[in-house]
Amino acid sequence: MPQAGWLGRGLRRERWLGYLFVAPMLLFLLGIIILPLAHAFVTSLYREAGVNVRFVGLQNYTRLLDDTAFWNSLRVSVVFTAACVGLHLAIGMPVALFLNTLRRGRTTIRLAFLTPWMVTPVIGAIAWVWLLDPHFGVVNHLLRSVGLIAANQVWLGEPALALWSVIAVDVWRGFPFVMLILLAGLQTVPKEEYEAASIDGAGALQRFLFVTLPHLRYLLVVATTLDVINTIRTFDIVAVMTRGGPINATEVLPVLIFNTAFQANRFGPAAAIGVILLALLLVFSSLYILVLQSERSGATAP
Amino acid sequence: MKRHDLATAATWTGMLLLLLVTVFPFYWMLNTSLKPQSEVFLSPPTFVSSSWTLAGYARVLATRAVGRFFWNSAVVSVGSTLLAMLLSALAAYGFSRFRMRWERPLVLLLLFTQMLPGTLLIIPYFQLMANLGLINTYLALILAYASFALPFSTWMLIGFFRSIPLELDEAAMVDGCGRIKAFWRVILPLCLPGLVAVAIFTFLLAWNAYVFALVLTTDPKMFPLSVGIANMMGEYQVVWNEMMAAAVLATLPVLILYGFLERYLVQGITAGAVKG
Amino acid sequence: MTNRKSDGWAKWGVSRRQVLQGLAAAAATTAVAGSRVVSGAAPAARSGSIVLQYQTANLTEAQYEPVWKAIIAKFEAQNPNIKVEPILVARKDHWTKFVTASKANQAPDVVSVDIATAAYNGYLRPLDDLWQAEPASYRQAWTADAIKTASWQGKFYGLPSWGGIYGEIYNKEMVKQAGLDLSKPPATWNEYLDWSKRLTREGQQWALAILAGKTDSTTRMLLMWIWSNGGEAFNADMTQATFAGNPKSLEALEFYLNLDLVHKVVAPGAASINYLEQTNLFAQQKIASMRNAYWGVAKVVGDNPAIKDKIAVAFPPMNADKKVTMATMAADSISKDCKHVEAAWKFVKFVNDREWGIRRALVSNWMPMRTDLATDPEVKKDPTLVQFLEYGTVARAYPLPHPLWADIAANDIVAATQSALLRRMSVKDAFTKLDADLNKKFKEM
Repeated sequence: MPQAGWLGRGLRRERWLGYLFVAPMLLFLLGIIILPLAHAFVTSLYREAGVNVRFVGLQNYTRLLDDTAFWNSLRVSVVFTAACVGLHLAIGMPVALFLNTLRRGRTTIRLAFLTPWMVTPVIGAIAWVWLLDPHFGVVNHLLRSVGLIAANQVWLGEPALALWSVIAVDVWRGFPFVMLILLAGLQTVPKEEYEAASIDGAGALQRFLFVTLPHLRYLLVVATTLDVINTIRTFDIVAVMTRGGPINATEVLPVLIFNTAFQANRFGPAAAIGVILLALLLVFSSLYILVLQSERSGATAP
Repeated sequence: MKRHDLATAATWTGMLLLLLVTVFPFYWMLNTSLKPQSEVFLSPPTFVSSSWTLAGYARVLATRAVGRFFWNSAVVSVGSTLLAMLLSALAAYGFSRFRMRWERPLVLLLLFTQMLPGTLLIIPYFQLMANLGLINTYLALILAYASFALPFSTWMLIGFFRSIPLELDEAAMVDGCGRIKAFWRVILPLCLPGLVAVAIFTFLLAWNAYVFALVLTTDPKMFPLSVGIANMMGEYQVVWNEMMAAAVLATLPVLILYGFLERYLVQGITAGAVKG
Repeated sequence: MTNRKSDGWAKWGVSRRQVLQGLAAAAATTAVAGSRVVSGAAPAARSGSIVLQYQTANLTEAQYEPVWKAIIAKFEAQNPNIKVEPILVARKDHWTKFVTASKANQAPDVVSVDIATAAYNGYLRPLDDLWQAEPASYRQAWTADAIKTASWQGKFYGLPSWGGIYGEIYNKEMVKQAGLDLSKPPATWNEYLDWSKRLTREGQQWALAILAGKTDSTTRMLLMWIWSNGGEAFNADMTQATFAGNPKSLEALEFYLNLDLVHKVVAPGAASINYLEQTNLFAQQKIASMRNAYWGVAKVVGDNPAIKDKIAVAFPPMNADKKVTMATMAADSISKDCKHVEAAWKFVKFVNDREWGIRRALVSNWMPMRTDLATDPEVKKDPTLVQFLEYGTVARAYPLPHPLWADIAANDIVAATQSALLRRMSVKDAFTKLDADLNKKFKEM
């Protein structure tokens, strides 16, 4: 039954009912999110100096253009997000493919792979801080035992290592969900197409590229975009593990906002950074919606 | 065929290795939690120990109100889940059944709220709750978490509802039900997998939240698990075996619960996400 | 009339009624649970009873727990109409929670925070009126210097409660194994360097740990080394930074950081080392010495009881004529939102009673700020305590009185230290840049 391109055929006199159904959610969001958001935006137009708060218009925003901390944070966020989302997919896809081929024990193994995602990020991060302890942590011990590293590494104390450690923990925590979505998608790929492709002489890789991927394209776009939006906003893991250090090497935008507001007591500038982050996400999601529209209209073609 | 066997063996090895890395931290959490204080800092660290003891757990349970933290997390999570399910189901039905002029902007608004960074909202949200007298209440957290979960839940349910043909609505209405009854009796039950998925997703989101609870609760009796346990990480002192014991206590029930519910989550995502 | 055909719930084996009942039960339970605890968590609404909220970063430190619990119990027993509600928060979140609450005019009544920053931002209530109302005999227990450190722009903001006086703490056993004699601890920089080289065995143990983590403990170390060379980090009225500008300061910084960069007598991973990691390393006998206050001893003994008899304390090494060390200070303040000022002041004074000053000194190893405790027989029984108190007579106060202190001490200064240690820049360049950045920040205030 073709459901794509739903236009709704509600009776004219019932059209207002649609709004009625949607109203509770909208009013709720208005009160809980939009109002505070407006408040935050207003805050970004002011600058505090102790007890004196003065209106500065868009000066907080223009000052950010010269602010090395802001540009550094932006760069770190881009690297962090790209690496995390990329690895989520790079690990999630093979695991999903693997699980899809399992006949026995699929549920157990799937559950095992899902476990990092079920742990509260803060708690997982605390556990990893212990695992990565330079002198007493087990990761150093294991890596030295198998000869992968020569001496104890200070995972959270060197800028490059710290960034990759934080990325690793986020990937550990985040790939299961992507895997799950991909697995769900894989199960909708009709088996007949695989068989047809095999008969045509296609190898495993070709089957993947020409049968699996096309079917998953829409899902991949959705999953990736949602993942990007979520990953850019990651705060808990970084805050617990490094608080943005060392030398701001892991200071992703949410952490910068937090540090600016609460450590430096500069709420106006912090709100400005937050608004900019929001704008970036808006731009990104607009792209997503555009792609979504084209995918949708592409998918309706029989 | 030999190449195929080699590939299979390599795949299995790779997957098992990955599986090992995935679950190893849990094993280490458990291992550390069972060690006596004197063994925690042994270099090289011990993987199994003959002096494993539950003393860490005993101390944590005696000195921290873990049971209380659990209860707080549970109440807030269940509350947010119910609220989110209600609002998102209603809204998704509205979006999927009626052609509204404002549909596109409203969906965009939904997506927009999905993108809001938490750290931007903390202070104004705190002030709002303070003005309403809702600091240190479950309600403040329930409202916040439900609002975070709404966008994704609604989106997923829209997909579900769209997969249900209009004819069913009309059949039900012909049978004598009004719109609302049709919604409740006929359409909603068909979405149960989606609803369960939404419930699981929201529950997890609320259970795992940290920053908002940190700021909105000052009374230790109201701390949820995430805050209660993070508190144990003093800057000047961390007792690792107790810390890990608390982490295990916090994680184990969730793992068990989701062990049972995971099937529904998968079903829900399969149905909802794919049909988006 | 339930038309089974249109009752979709039947498909799932439940009836519509059951689903409704289930949901209603869940919602009701949540509502009841929620409201019941709300009323339970809300302050006791007994008429005439006052609830004071009390927040310091130390309430979650194991060393302090027995003391503060006893304080609150006794205070409530003596004041049945006042209830004290402790707000437990990890040290790293303490300032965040306080600021957020202050912004919403809901700050805890009694807090212990960085006075200059908090007062500058208007979060604290000046205590001059309450202070002057106390008899002179009471006020005498605090030195004028202590009162000055707890003041901002001429107004008094917090009763100095306790502090830490820094010394050099050694592991006797490791020192002996290196063939060194603790009856003559290193008094000069060169002696210290010599000792450090002999106490280091690459990969196994090091002489000390340099703190370069993202907390203000890093800055404390830098300041002490700068002062030990007769240098200054700032000019007299705190309007200019002179980390590199003052040649003696720069010399001190280079010596201190070269312990790692050149001589390699420092435990690896400085950028991730804060007080916690430093004391861990000392407790596990990976480092032979640590620059710390007396509370450090209580902490390492708690970690590793076997180390108790191996502890020795000496004055830190100097490179100038005058001996100088650091004394940190914590004070109890009243927030501007406090609605029960009299009760709060009563509690503040109670916390600072002689009895608790002594308990804090003996149990948690915190230095009392009251000058009338040094001669107390209880205190005198602890020779290490007496030793530290002696060091306190040549100690300079910390934190430095600048409204941006909480920010720069944990961020800018740390970033410069990390840059130098991670070899991003030379020590000179890193701290020249720091001076420039700080001066810019001060101007933009």
